[in-house]
Formats: sequence, C-alpha cells, structure tokens
Amino acid sequence: MIERLTHEHWRAMIKAAREQILANQSLLSQLDSAVGDGDHGAAMLRAWDKAVGALAESPGPDLKALFGKVAWAVMSCDGGSTGPLLGSFFMGMSEAAAGKTELGFADVVGLFEAGIAKMQKQSRARVGDKTMMDALLPALDALKAAPVSAGIAGALKQAAEAAAKGAEATKNMRAKFGRARHLGDRVLGHADPGATSVSLIFKGFGEAIASI
Amino acid sequence: MFIMKKFINDPANLTAELLEGFAIAHRGKIVVKSDKIVCRARSKPSDKVAIVTLGGAGHEPALSGFVGKGMLDYSVVGDIFAAPGPPKVIEALRMANRPAGVLFVVLNHAGDVMSANIAMETARNEGLNVRMLLTHEDIAPGADAPAEDKRGLVGCIPLYKIAGAAAEAGKSLDEVFQIASRFNDQMATLAVAMRCATHPATGTALFELADDEMEIGMGQHGEAGTGPCKIATADKTAEMMLSRLLPAIKAGKGDRIMLVLNGSGATTLMELYIVLRGCKKFLDAQGIEIAATYCGEWLTVQEMAGFQMMVAKMDDELLKYWKMPCDTPAYTVK
Repeated sequence: MIERLTHEHWRAMIKAAREQILANQSLLSQLDSAVGDGDHGAAMLRAWDKAVGALAESPGPDLKALFGKVAWAVMSCDGGSTGPLLGSFFMGMSEAAAGKTELGFADVVGLFEAGIAKMQKQSRARVGDKTMMDALLPALDALKAAPVSAGIAGALKQAAEAAAKGAEATKNMRAKFGRARHLGDRVLGHADPGATSVSLIFKGFGEAIASI
Repeated sequence: MFIMKKFINDPANLTAELLEGFAIAHRGKIVVKSDKIVCRARSKPSDKVAIVTLGGAGHEPALSGFVGKGMLDYSVVGDIFAAPGPPKVIEALRMANRPAGVLFVVLNHAGDVMSANIAMETARNEGLNVRMLLTHEDIAPGADAPAEDKRGLVGCIPLYKIAGAAAEAGKSLDEVFQIASRFNDQMATLAVAMRCATHPATGTALFELADDEMEIGMGQHGEAGTGPCKIATADKTAEMMLSRLLPAIKAGKGDRIMLVLNGSGATTLMELYIVLRGCKKFLDAQGIEIAATYCGEWLTVQEMAGFQMMVAKMDDELLKYWKMPCDTPAYTVK
C-alpha cells in the first residue's frame, strides 16, 4: 500500500487522468452539446494534453515546481473557463506542495483542498450550481472522511465514487454559472460536462495509484 | 436540422489560419505577435495610454479588427468563442505597459473575466500600470439585473473608439478610464436572433429556433435570451427593443443617443436599414435624436441571422471622441 506520493506517482496520475478524458471525449462533448456549444470534451482534452506536456519541463522531484508548470501550461489553453479553473486548481496544489518532495495522506488531502480553494477565487460555484464543484466538493469530503487504513489509493477511489455520484446528481440541477445558466429548464436531464470530467479525473488518479 | 456549410480546413487550425489571413488582408495596419496577440503595425508613442482587450475568435471582425490608430493597441485572441488563457493576456499587458498606463477592457463572459482576473493579479504583482474596465451592457436579463449576469456585447466597440480617441488626445489613464466608464454606464444592448449558427469547430448548431420564431435577448454564443416569440415586422421589432433599451439608459425627450445596429452575420444590410428606419420613426415620436449611428457588422456570430441593437446616451465630450479620426481594419473615420 502506498504511504507517500512522490512526483513519480503524480506524473502517473496526471497521465491517467488525461487518458480518461481522451477515452471519454465524445461523451463529454455530447453532454456539452445539450447545455453549451459542444466543445467541452475538446477543451478539457487540450488542457490535459498541456498538463502532460508540462511534466517534461519539470523533471525533478520538486512538487511545487511540477504543479506550477502544469498550472501554467493548462492556463495557456485558450479554452474559455476550463484553462483558468483547472489551472487555478493546479496552482493551489503547487502552493500547498511548497518545500515537499513527497506527500502523506494528510498532505494529499491538504493539496486537493488548496487546489479547490484557489479555484473558488475564480468561481463562486457551490454544490447545486451544476458545475465542476458538484463533483469536486463531494470528492474532497470523501477524501477527508476516508479512514487512513484505506490508504491513499483507497481514499482516491472513494473520492472518485463520490465525484461520479455528484456528477450524476447534476442532471436535476439548473445551471447557475457558465453559458448554460441562460438556458433555464433546457439543461434538466443532462449531466454537467465539467462535473463529469472531474469524476473521470479522480477515476484516473485512483486507478494510477491502485495499479502500482 | 441545420447543416454547417463553411469554407474551412482542419477545424483544429481555425484561429491560427484566420489570424494569418487577417494579417495578410491588413498588412501595414496590424501584426500578429506570439501567435495570438494582434498589435498595431506602428506602436503608439509611450506617453499615451494603451488600450488592451481580450476575447474569443469567431466574431470577426471583432475584436481584433479594431486594433489601430484611434482604437485598440492590443487584442488577445482566444479560440473560437473561447477566451484566451491568462499567460497570453499577461504577455499582452506587459507589451502594452508604459508610464502613461494601460486601459484593459474586458467583456463580461465567464472565461474572459477569469482570465482577466488572473492576469490582473500578476500585473499588480509586477507593478504594471493597468486599470481594468468590465463591459456588461446586455439588458436581456433585465435592466436592473446584477452586473455579473449581464453580458458584454457589441457596446465594447464604440467604447474602444471613445477610449482610444481620448488616449490619442493625450488624456491620462484616470481621465481615459473616467470617460470610458461614463460611456460604459450609459449604454445598453439587446440582441435578437432569427436563425441559428453553427460552431465552426464542431458543426453543432448553437441553438434552435422554429421556422416562425425569433428570440430577443440571445447572447453572442447562442446563449438563451428571453424565450422565443413569433417573428414580428421590422418596425414592431424596433419598437419592442427600443421600448426596453431607452428606459435602461434613461433616455427621453430632448436626449441625444448613439444607435448601433450590429448584424450577427447572416442578416442582410437591407434588413438592418429597414430596422434603422423603424427605429428613427419610434425615436422621432419620443423626441430623441440619433446623434451617432452605425449599421453593419462589427461583432458577428458566424452565420447567425439576427442583430444586436445598442443605444448609448451621448454628450458633447463623448460625441467629440466618437467623431475623431481612427484607422483600423474594421472601422475608419477620416
């Protein structure tokens, strides 16, 4: 069971998250066609392609530098909100990882918490607003609630499950943010593509660690 | 089903290719730096305020078509209908920075605002002399709706003109900001959609409208407005829209306004002229003078049929700046 995550683990996690987005790109764009202009899948994949590309720019064990490079690369995507939001998430993680080359259970939770907090500076979205937060906040709660005995891999698996439930729950929500917020009831019955992406990201993170 | 029919190549290269073509068409006026930053071919002297903006592509000639003498200095281009990321925006702010300062005009759309806020944080940390102005003149959600719910539409273009003229005239950043803010606070826009458009990268229709419907208040990426209604005559449509727009800017008898009819891409100039005539009839009856007008395509939405109607209350100073010379790819005043 993995007790501490090093940069090697995080590289694998980021690559695995990208694979999940790639495999589900059509689904994500289809979801976005119902509530937006259909480009979420492409935008999210571009962001994760940049994230993976940035890994090579920071080959060492310094986690602050790694996440910082990833954050900046993701922000350079011209994909509307996706870049700034996901980029802020990695920027928050970078700041929380300062001085560390490996992370224990509590550190990992702290990192995700910091990532979400940084994202919330750009978006006031809360649970129920039909955004990425509907998957992110439940995922964070699951991480915090997971027993230490589950290990980091187990906790991430629980987080992924909570994120998936959160994404599913967005079907019944009206959008409060983004372009979809002008669509009223037209969005009901369709899951939010951003929340769906988040559930796939955590799935990737968890599976990358579980298989080591 | 609305099928996309466009002259494009690989959709992955839309923005890069359109910027290359744009640079060829307007060589001598503009250059594209760092792939996505449209700049004047000859920079403005550094003792004058620079004007920077950002926005998604796909709305040509907006926004980059307004880079040039008397209007914008830098336009940061994103992807189709998608804001550019913070790194390019910061790069542009650094390019623009000078002792005289920078006016950074941002249209209220989620991605643009996020990118701008992140860029402004960096700009502040680096001590750049930048002031940000957010446009949000769309009254579709109601004239009294919170500013964050009101999108920035075509009103930014005359704002670039007025701010740009003030900057060319040597006004300080505080003065340019104050003049632009005044205009910002007394303009209102309402859009109407007649037929949908397609996203050039995906081919998907941006929205749906029945054959006998139009929709007032639709956004410039196909976002919903106030719900579809039956197609009305040009005169009736003009009346419906002005009846909402004029109270929003508190324009009444004796006032002078700017009136812009901005075609969304597929609506003919013929129709815009007919609507403009209808507007004048309505305004004459109200005792309101059209002191400035534009009829054409400034900010389009691909092949969407419809238009944005913008009104702004004018005064002598704003009119003076509106009439000053400018020389940009999409708008020139001699």
